[in-house]
Amino acid sequence: MEKLHAVGQSAVRVDGKEKVSGAALFTDDLEFGPDLLYAEIVEGPHAHAMITKIDTSEAEKVPGVLCVVTGRDFPYNFGLYMKDRFIFAQDRVRFFGEQIAAVVARSPAAAKKAARLVRVSYKPLPKILNPLDAIEGDASLIHPGLKSYEHVPWFFPQPDTNIAHHRKIRKGDVEKGFAEADHVLDDTYEVPRYAHCAIEYHAAVAKYDHSGRLTVWASSQSPHTQRNLFANALAPMGIRHNDVRVIAPHVGGGFGSKAGVTMEILAAAIATRVKGHPVKVMWNREREFYNTYQRLGVVARLRLGVKKDGRITALHHELYWDAGAYVEYGANVVNAVGLSAIGPYRVENASIDSYCIYTNLPPGGPYRGFGYSEFLFGLESHMERIARHLGIDPVEIRRRNAIKAGDLTAYGAKMNPSGLMQAIDAVAKEIRWDEPVLPGNDEEAVGKGFSLFWKAPAMPPNTSSSCFLKFNEDASINILVSGMDIGQGFLTVMAQIASEVLTVPLSKIRTENPDTDRNPYEWQTVASHVTWGCGNAVKLAAQDARNQVLDLVSRTQNLPKDTLYLAEGSVRCVTKPSFRMALEDFVIHGIQMPDGTFRGGPIMGRGVFMPEYATTKADPETSQGGHPNVHYTVGAAAAIVAVDKKTGKVKVRKIVEAVDCGKAINPDLVRGQITGGILQGISTVLYEEMKFDHRGKMLNPNFTDYKIPTSLDLPDEVVPIIIEVAEPDGPYGARGMGEHTMIPVAPMIANAIDDALGLRIKTMPITAEKICLALLKKNEVR
Amino acid sequence: MAIPYEFHYEKPLTLQAALELLDKHGENSRLLAGGTDVANEIRMGFRVPGLLIDIKGLEELKAIRVTDGALHIGALVGFDTIRASKPIRDHCHILYEAAGLVASPGVRNRATMVGNICSAVACMDSAAPLLVHDALVHCRSLGGERVVPVAKWFVDNRKTCIGGRELVTHVSIPLQEVKCAGAYQKMMRYTGEDLAAANVGVLRFADGRCHVAFGSVGPIPKRSPRLEKHFLEHGVNPESIVRAREMLEKLIKPISDVRASKEYRMHMAGVMLERALIAAGERLKMPRVIAGKE
Amino acid sequence: MKKISFTLNGERRQVHVSPNEILLEVLRYKMGVKSPKSGCDSGDCGACTVILDGKAVRSCLIFAVEVDGQEILTLEGLSADGLSPLQQALLEKNAFQCGYCAPGMILSAHELLSNKPHPTEGEIKEAISGNLCRCTGYQPIIDAIKSLTQKR
Repeated sequence: MEKLHAVGQSAVRVDGKEKVSGAALFTDDLEFGPDLLYAEIVEGPHAHAMITKIDTSEAEKVPGVLCVVTGRDFPYNFGLYMKDRFIFAQDRVRFFGEQIAAVVARSPAAAKKAARLVRVSYKPLPKILNPLDAIEGDASLIHPGLKSYEHVPWFFPQPDTNIAHHRKIRKGDVEKGFAEADHVLDDTYEVPRYAHCAIEYHAAVAKYDHSGRLTVWASSQSPHTQRNLFANALAPMGIRHNDVRVIAPHVGGGFGSKAGVTMEILAAAIATRVKGHPVKVMWNREREFYNTYQRLGVVARLRLGVKKDGRITALHHELYWDAGAYVEYGANVVNAVGLSAIGPYRVENASIDSYCIYTNLPPGGPYRGFGYSEFLFGLESHMERIARHLGIDPVEIRRRNAIKAGDLTAYGAKMNPSGLMQAIDAVAKEIRWDEPVLPGNDEEAVGKGFSLFWKAPAMPPNTSSSCFLKFNEDASINILVSGMDIGQGFLTVMAQIASEVLTVPLSKIRTENPDTDRNPYEWQTVASHVTWGCGNAVKLAAQDARNQVLDLVSRTQNLPKDTLYLAEGSVRCVTKPSFRMALEDFVIHGIQMPDGTFRGGPIMGRGVFMPEYATTKADPETSQGGHPNVHYTVGAAAAIVAVDKKTGKVKVRKIVEAVDCGKAINPDLVRGQITGGILQGISTVLYEEMKFDHRGKMLNPNFTDYKIPTSLDLPDEVVPIIIEVAEPDGPYGARGMGEHTMIPVAPMIANAIDDALGLRIKTMPITAEKICLALLKKNEVR
Repeated sequence: MAIPYEFHYEKPLTLQAALELLDKHGENSRLLAGGTDVANEIRMGFRVPGLLIDIKGLEELKAIRVTDGALHIGALVGFDTIRASKPIRDHCHILYEAAGLVASPGVRNRATMVGNICSAVACMDSAAPLLVHDALVHCRSLGGERVVPVAKWFVDNRKTCIGGRELVTHVSIPLQEVKCAGAYQKMMRYTGEDLAAANVGVLRFADGRCHVAFGSVGPIPKRSPRLEKHFLEHGVNPESIVRAREMLEKLIKPISDVRASKEYRMHMAGVMLERALIAAGERLKMPRVIAGKE
Repeated sequence: MKKISFTLNGERRQVHVSPNEILLEVLRYKMGVKSPKSGCDSGDCGACTVILDGKAVRSCLIFAVEVDGQEILTLEGLSADGLSPLQQALLEKNAFQCGYCAPGMILSAHELLSNKPHPTEGEIKEAISGNLCRCTGYQPIIDAIKSLTQKR
């Protein structure tokens, strides 16, 4: 392989200095001048109710109030994969806290004061707070209009039910597989809802100016998708795509919550009612919890058959997803899991039923891991239990079943190359899997747990990324892309790829978060796909620019193009070692000929990437025949935990995680993703717990009672391991790994707790309280 | 998040001026020290006053002093100051220990102990240490001083016996005649900042006496005379601790809420009692006197 | 409205505020100082941390009227003469990801190092324990602060 100078280096982040100096501006840091208006949202206090009357008259009288808008102003539906969502509630509310109206005022205090004066009358409807209740025959319908909603062709809604989508896999002969099994384990696991908890709130400012231009500044993972959805939703008002401009400043954490469109559309819509004024909609911590997306909950029944030697003969996975009140994005989580719920294993006989179920809880949507954390909690718990039952080492059973390149996935396409075996071996060695661990004192029990993981980007088959790359006079570069740096280091990695191709140092490359008017198309920054997808586009754009450079030099200097190459920012020639033309001498102003004329002009590269082999066309009854996922990223992880037997408190002593990212373009940033993802995973399994009351109201929408870890809650040791088995169509072999790092954590901690205590907990979270009460029930402590 | 409620603000520079403002505005006013509770409550629309009286200008409330056989902690003493105070470490180590578990350093840099016991939220960290030390709360009004034993200070969750025209000037903690050592245990969902789902304070004396207080297992934090009598009669040993944990079932009434179930709270109260007794016992064995007179 | 004056990043500033205005909002929306952030509005997350008379405090729990006559340092002030060694270490170690918690985190660490130039790892963890970060798992931040204390 060629020697790389920029790719593979742990470069300092290109946005680092902004962030450590306080210069980095986030949406709410932008200035909009003294004409800025503020909108306060009025929320419904019912999980399911008809709206019978909205009286805004008292609110309109508050000094400083400009107007009050309601669902009547915007009778439009929208959504990413299925148009089941509304800007403001129309005839009914479907979750506690849903937006009913907005008050627009000159000051936040006036807007707040007036919002409390909007009077709304309701007629309560039966509410459904559990997905299993929602599929009972007599359950009331949450979306009577389901059959009329537009949706992508790979969704299969069940009309006149609460099932918005059902993804089915039928592969091989499952009955035969179970008949051949020496041991079958059948059990049910529950993973509840979780919140993303980005520290920055959602924020959006919109201005619809008197020329008909709608500009939205938003904290967003998806500027182009937002533009698309705003333009589609507001099309009845005469708004077209090129009227809409989305500008995305720095994003203070996303984790999926700022993908697609949630509250941002409120700003866009409200702005059309206060033409000429910028209007700000700020979420607060409470709404971050109950009115953006939540991670979907799931009840997963898993049946797995194995031979005595641990080899899997059959798998049946039924997943009942609590997808919430609107599933326009969440239904694709259900779909992704439906396609992949065999895990990173070779399973010849598989059936999967993944049901997307409406409930009267907040909308479920994308969350780091996109459903894979949820189903792997059960599957990887199952693998460990089966191994122990059969007396096989838990690492060995995974080696025996691990999927290899060329094996068939659940939908019948071939598995991509992967370093799964290397990951398993590296983790087992680093954690010293074969050596016993010892408790620190009498009150402590210690144990080890293992887990594999995999995940594919879940995207439409025609998802694309694009890039413009332009030179400046001094041969510095601006890269224009529309992926978002949400902390993962996307901009740095793009700069490193361009630096690699063009041999221009990183310090001379600028790449920033986008403006949809100026920057070319990117679908969204989700699915851990931008390093791969947009990385390809940047590499192609850089190669395009290099090609133009070499062409120009070749035709002006009479040197064969194939003898020219770039090194350290200059064009060199293999046959003429003394030849050197520095890029800054011609990338803008061209090259002067003997007659005084010039050739060339500004060098601008263009790159477009779309995976042209992907398709969702498949038999809906079996899902066989398509190629819906471009590739899977895999890895392995292990943990050592110590449990205080009297209190149930878990201390994580060590975690090792190996991920095959194909090529670590910036190893430091890859390790950063591992360290951060592991703590987020620990948090979901040990600490975080949403509480809802009987009305469907979330009781702990705050950091006081929804606990995310502090610096005092870290594992004693985290060892990140990078495996590099190249992805054939990745830039320098890279594939995504950002989401994946948290996926194995919950099952491996559950496995380690079981190892320590002989206690198998099948519902998340596994809090100290849950462990302790289970031990008390077993009469093992007092 | 803008506050839509309006109120006035005064910052008196003498105690007399503060008391006069209090006397004039009474229940319509609120005192502001560190403000970490007050700002949150006002933002939520809870106990919004007509007048906020900022007492941070009252120099005489800022001191920690050891005089007249007692440790005096002024109303403006923050938890960070408590953590840094040698007299408090020497004479009331359990308070030093509990102060380190109040919220996070950025809040401790502002929040005051007296504010903590005036907010009187059931999960407060200061109460158990003060209860086991028989602390006294000193209130002032234009009418004069009133001294309330901390055991009588708390009336209900978020309610104390302070009068509408009174302010707390300081808390005094009597120096003990007998060698003693305390320990504080706090039930938290993780190691980082958390409100106590329950807490236990224990003060053990060289003469065999033992003070025990619980917080967050009822509307107000309380001493447990029954347990104290039990330990006085039976000593602190594995058997008496087992018996004490059995007695606990009838002595405290924890509830289930968003932080914990009553079953877990009950169990943890027992575990924490045991651990606090053992920790205090270990400290009592140490040669240096941890609390008490020289 | 009350006129208050205080020193903000070394400059004497005056501003008119109502008693119900929170310091964080006055700094951000009336004085143009944007590095202190809002992340919970209840003192839980530490994103709004500023240094007030030498102490790291939550600006979301302080009424602006309270700081009359006092001295406030924000990250803008700390960066005025170039990056401090603390900021430089955090930069070089790629310690932050999204960077939203960075201003508060840096000021909490700054307070620690001002009082204690050679803290232990435990003291570092304690000092930043009130600053929530959802991206990094904290370890890179702790390592960067630690590297600095070793260098000295």
